[in-house]
Amino acid sequence: MRQGKREAMSDEAVRLDNVALRYDSAEDVLSGVDLILKPGSFTFLTGPSGAGKTSLLKLLYLALPPSRGDVSLLGRRVSALKRDQISALRRRIGVVFQEFRLLDHLTAYENAALPLRVQGLRASDYRADVEELLRWVGLGPRIDANPPQLSGGEQQRVAIARALVNKPDLLIADEPTGNVDPEMGSRLLRLFGELNRRLGTTVLIATHDLTLIREMNAPVLRLQHGLLVRDIEFGGEAV
Amino acid sequence: MSRPAPLLPEGDAREAALFFVVCALCFLAALAALSARASYSAARGWTAEVEGQMTIRLQGEDRRGAAEALDIVQATEGVESARILSRDEVESLLEPSFGAGGLPAGLPMPLILDVYADPEYRDMDETLENRLADSGIGALVDTHSDWAGDVRRALGVVRLVALSTVLLLGATAVAVIAFATHAALLARRDIVEVLHLSGATDRFISRLFERRFWLLGLQAGGVGALFALGTTALVLSLASARGGRSGLLPQLSLDALDFLILVTTPIIAAIAARLAARMTVLRSLKGSL
Repeated sequence: MRQGKREAMSDEAVRLDNVALRYDSAEDVLSGVDLILKPGSFTFLTGPSGAGKTSLLKLLYLALPPSRGDVSLLGRRVSALKRDQISALRRRIGVVFQEFRLLDHLTAYENAALPLRVQGLRASDYRADVEELLRWVGLGPRIDANPPQLSGGEQQRVAIARALVNKPDLLIADEPTGNVDPEMGSRLLRLFGELNRRLGTTVLIATHDLTLIREMNAPVLRLQHGLLVRDIEFGGEAV
Repeated sequence: MSRPAPLLPEGDAREAALFFVVCALCFLAALAALSARASYSAARGWTAEVEGQMTIRLQGEDRRGAAEALDIVQATEGVESARILSRDEVESLLEPSFGAGGLPAGLPMPLILDVYADPEYRDMDETLENRLADSGIGALVDTHSDWAGDVRRALGVVRLVALSTVLLLGATAVAVIAFATHAALLARRDIVEVLHLSGATDRFISRLFERRFWLLGLQAGGVGALFALGTTALVLSLASARGGRSGLLPQLSLDALDFLILVTTPIIAAIAARLAARMTVLRSLKGSL
């Protein structure tokens, strides 16, 4: 019975049921959000500044619990999980933060390898893969540099490498092309697309960049004043 | 291949201050533990000297009666030695009261027997007093038990104070380290959050802090113990320069047990630091998702 339910839930990479989020203030940042993302889908999330995009992503990468409603990720209902199970679930989610959140005292290589290191894997088991990934995002000669020595675009690529290094089932990116030139932005989006097609990774990207959205021709969700109000242009079964 | 950088950055000025505080606490705790140990040794040494020792003051001045009393005492089971104190010895006992000028030759002197009995024999004073009385010899037996009891009680208080000090300093060190861990956790909140979101478990993060504070406890405790060793050695050398006494603690010394106390100080400090760090981190992380 339980197995059957798990199987049924795994048809949804992300499911939000009537989710609300409120910080210390009295007003809801998100209100009554319902969302389903199918496994292997590629979706954009857009909306004006302050609409709640980052807050919604924080719920999805398990940085915050919802104030109300249910969040299920990769077939697991988050509120029913123990702390160690949440850690295990986080390992299946890759996140590119808007402000990168790299650790300044670690090199680009060490930052990118962080999700593998916290699992207790030996460096000798992953070093070649991480270096390959960093070369792929164009950071081959800079792998021993620390974040303060890197440009904004280079830091963003380290953050992307860190998000991808675990070959995540769900990739969440908050303005991932905000600090790179248009050419690199397109290249990164193609990388996300390739990951989505080849590995079946579910991708959700929050962005203001309508050019990129058009380039990818993927469903778009729009947040406004904390409400997931509509799905523009490309229609979509996502909402 | 070089070792990966530690996930927590190297220590800052706050940790230097914490190092100093833990070092000072360990120094004081080691000194207090050494004092507790010394007071225990002193109590044992002093009381062992007077246990079983007694003096018998005979009433009257008949030296023949004294010889008879000596025979009776020596024949009593449990008495290991007994002798009559000479006039010179009695005079030296009276010297604190009457001065060193010597007593007039005609002054009657008490007859005193110096007796040492096996401390295992209980109520020896009563036994001797009764046996002498049965033979018609009036005598007062003094066992020094009041004095020995006072010494034991005084040193018991010293020991209790020293042990309480050790416990108080230990508890203070744990509280300081818990506070410092919490501060470090807040200062490194950004790192902890990134580790969490990268899939690190609470235990993984806790171990990072535990390792940091374990090392700090070990190093600070080691330096504190070294200072305690130096201070004790200094006190001993000053005491030996003044004739081999160490003021209030004549038994203060450095033997194997003292070195054991000094060696275990940093280990105990490190274990306490590690446990304090673990409890603080796990409790703090429980509040997050």
